[in-house]
Amino acid sequence: MSRNLLSRLDFLQGTLDVLILRTLLAGPTHGHAVAKHIQRTSEDLLQVETGSLYPALHRLEAKGWIAAAWELSDKGKRAKYYRLTRLGRKQLVIEQSKWQAFSRAMGLVLSPVDQEA
Amino acid sequence: MSAFFRKLSWLIQRRRREAELQDELQFHLGEESEDREEQGLAKEQAQRAAIRELGNITLVKESTRATWTWACAEQVAQDVRYALRGLRKNPGFALAAIFSLALGLGTSLAIYTVADNLLLRPLPYAHSSELVMVWEEHPRRNFLHGNVAPRNYFVWKARNDVFQDMAVFDTSHAVLGDNRRSEELSEIEARANLLSMLGVQPIFGRRFTEAECRPGSDPVILISFRVWQSWFGGDRNIVGRRVQFGGRLRTIIGVLPANFYFRDRGIDIWQPLNISPAQNNGEGRWLLCLARLKPGVSRSGAQAEMSAIARQRALDDPDFNKDWTVTLELLRDALVREVKPSLLVLLGAVGLLLAVACANVASLLLARYTARQREMAVRASLGAGRLRVVRQLLTESILLAAIGGALGTLLARWAVMALVFLAPKDLTQSIDVVTDTRIYLFAACLAALTSILFGLAPALAGSRCELVQALQIDGRSSIGAKSHLRAWFAGAEIALSVILLSGALLLIRSLEGLQHVNPGINAANVLTLRVSLPGAQYTKPSQTIQFFQRTIREIGSLQGVRAASAISHLPFNGMAPGTYVVLAGRPPAKPGEEIGATIRTVLPGYFQTMGIPLLNGRDFTAADDVENTPHRFIVSQAFVRKYLSKANPLDQQISVWMEEKNPFGQIIGVVGDVKDQTLDQPPTPTVYYPHAHLAYNRMVIVVRSSGDPLALANPIRRVIRRIDPAQPIADVRTMDEVIADTFSRQHFSTLLLASFSGASLLLAAIGVYGILAYSVSERTRELGVRVAIGATPGRIIFLILRAATIPVVGGVVIGISGALALTGLLHSMLFDISPRDPLTFVFVPVMVVTVALIAAYLPARRAARLEPMIVLRAE
Repeated sequence: MSRNLLSRLDFLQGTLDVLILRTLLAGPTHGHAVAKHIQRTSEDLLQVETGSLYPALHRLEAKGWIAAAWELSDKGKRAKYYRLTRLGRKQLVIEQSKWQAFSRAMGLVLSPVDQEA
Repeated sequence: MSAFFRKLSWLIQRRRREAELQDELQFHLGEESEDREEQGLAKEQAQRAAIRELGNITLVKESTRATWTWACAEQVAQDVRYALRGLRKNPGFALAAIFSLALGLGTSLAIYTVADNLLLRPLPYAHSSELVMVWEEHPRRNFLHGNVAPRNYFVWKARNDVFQDMAVFDTSHAVLGDNRRSEELSEIEARANLLSMLGVQPIFGRRFTEAECRPGSDPVILISFRVWQSWFGGDRNIVGRRVQFGGRLRTIIGVLPANFYFRDRGIDIWQPLNISPAQNNGEGRWLLCLARLKPGVSRSGAQAEMSAIARQRALDDPDFNKDWTVTLELLRDALVREVKPSLLVLLGAVGLLLAVACANVASLLLARYTARQREMAVRASLGAGRLRVVRQLLTESILLAAIGGALGTLLARWAVMALVFLAPKDLTQSIDVVTDTRIYLFAACLAALTSILFGLAPALAGSRCELVQALQIDGRSSIGAKSHLRAWFAGAEIALSVILLSGALLLIRSLEGLQHVNPGINAANVLTLRVSLPGAQYTKPSQTIQFFQRTIREIGSLQGVRAASAISHLPFNGMAPGTYVVLAGRPPAKPGEEIGATIRTVLPGYFQTMGIPLLNGRDFTAADDVENTPHRFIVSQAFVRKYLSKANPLDQQISVWMEEKNPFGQIIGVVGDVKDQTLDQPPTPTVYYPHAHLAYNRMVIVVRSSGDPLALANPIRRVIRRIDPAQPIADVRTMDEVIADTFSRQHFSTLLLASFSGASLLLAAIGVYGILAYSVSERTRELGVRVAIGATPGRIIFLILRAATIPVVGGVVIGISGALALTGLLHSMLFDISPRDPLTFVFVPVMVVTVALIAAYLPARRAARLEPMIVLRAE
């Protein structure tokens, strides 16, 4: 599966949300770092479009799952830092177990074919 | 804090939030660009790459902002703001579109409401479509929709098997009084079954019975809700109370419901009609007859049966019934007879007018979108989503529809009020005109649908166009093809206006002709009022004669009175009795060839008061107005012309079949003709009695004044109160009003058609303006080039006007042929003018073309003023 193909696939509805929540579990950070982190940890397979990232961040903020505050970045610039709220932590657990169940189900159906290939 | 309040607080700190988003994205760009530099790109290249990576920043901002508020409320508000700004900046377009919608909706709603009430909505009686009026007619004498003879009614009722029921009635006026006050009221005398046929129950008490309709039974009355309220203060113990009505004590047995009316909403008293086959019910035809068809019997089936019965009656009773026929007419048709054709014409045109208004709006929207196509393309290229652009355009058309619809509804309300106010009183009195909310709801849906439908098509076409193409050339290819259709629309509008205007102008000219007909009297400065003496107090003719003689004498001596007299049946005010006349010295006439005449009884001085010329002989004098003198008559010129052309009329003795004994009497004078019921009919032969020989106790007093006739009303009232304190007067009107009322229905039809055709002409003008405005914006580039290479403004105007030629000329031609074909429908309403009146058919096209030219000139002038440099640079 080429990287190109995947980058052009839209994230499934809700996928990006759970990725952001999981990223913020490590500690508060700004939008750009969230995107870089997702890209890096997915071995560049997932590319977060800016046009989806910021609406998602603001949407999660509106829901109260994450909170934002202006802080100085490690390079000394003012940046908007997002952190996980208690509500967000709970939501992450729910979303995570949902995704694990989903990916296990996908794996069970797809794996025999995969192994043969 | 819930999501709701968080969003609410963001809405309040909107500006700060906006700045923060800007900062956040700026920071993102900085980080990204630094990352790229670290990967080894030059600073500038890194920045460009970062911007490229970020993508469409407007779109990012827009979709982020969308998360701040609820769904799309924010964008809707923005769209509305933007649309309002756009409309304000193009007042011509906005006004034209709003005006089209308002005018189209308003007129059609108003006409529809009136037509619905008068023609379509069932009358408020049980199974009202089964109710028919039964008339006697004498076609050979052109006597139509005439009253019914009691003795024929009894035979019909016994012989027919097409009606469930048949009832007769008669309307009249009589005085209701107690010791303190008195008022003349309209009453209806009816057989007991009339109320049950109509399916009405009194709210208190009961209906009267068959037994109470027999002569000699105790007199009873039902009163209207209005009288119950105004006379008896809504007293719940009213039933059983005895009141003076028509000079007799009568028992009130019930109160009719507030919203109940039958033929005339002014009727306040219902009482039993005393006729029976056994007694003499009078010779004439004086009853009105209502019947209810049996279920499953059609009107034509019933008509056939009644015609057969009438033929049999003519054989059985030739002296009375030869040449008389019977006609059935639906109750509703009987009520709206004269206005029905024009209302039907208008109802047919309402749909067309509405279509025209919608077409106008569509064509204006299309023109506007064409002009804005570049703007839309720019917006799309700056990152507005396609849906967003479509929604923006749609918002504008919905906004137009909302404003236009609201104005149209308002206009319709006013128009209905005005129409009801201006409608002939007998029409609005016989049918209640109510505004139905459902009609307005329908209109609202219609307005919304129109704008969405006509707004959506160009919006989709506009958003579909290729960005690059739209930016480079003006992408007219996608929608230009519709301009033919729009030219057709405009042509149809013009044609419709020509048809409607021709009809209206014919009616106006006919009405004008009517107003100039000589009625035979000098109506200026004449006051009329009715006095009905109660028969119970004025039992002997001599009392009645004395009352009127004294009244006239005393009125005559009032200041400002030039002459005063009285007549039993005022001309132009309904029917007068007619009967046979026998000429002395001639053999008796064969059945069907009798001499007939209208009979009126007058006091001395009547002809002088009304300005009717005395052509021969002398007027009645006080010496003639005495009971025991020999009979003397005055006849009209038409009587002489028709029956006495060879002899000297003053030598002739006549006998008039008016009463039991009708001795021959001398003709002592001949007076000028007076038109009878309406101005458009020839005068009928008339015989005048002196009051003493035919002493009606209901007379209309006529007074010629030297100043304003209405100023005499109160002095006259005082004179009559002095003579008889219990005697009210009624129907105080000037003679001019009385005559005007006879053509109030023509007036109403004319008004309807004229205002409607005016609306359609305005719409057509907007339509022409619309297509030319469109064509100018479509051809801006071409026109710019023409101006640049030296075309004069006149040449440009000519070019634009030429585009309007085909629809306008085509529309006028089609309109004229349509009008020639359709004005025949108005034939029955026209007086003294041909449905193909040449003046009308010259004037209307000239007027329409002039209006179209003015409408076309506005965009043409705009085109002529184009600055070539600006136009070409803009491309």
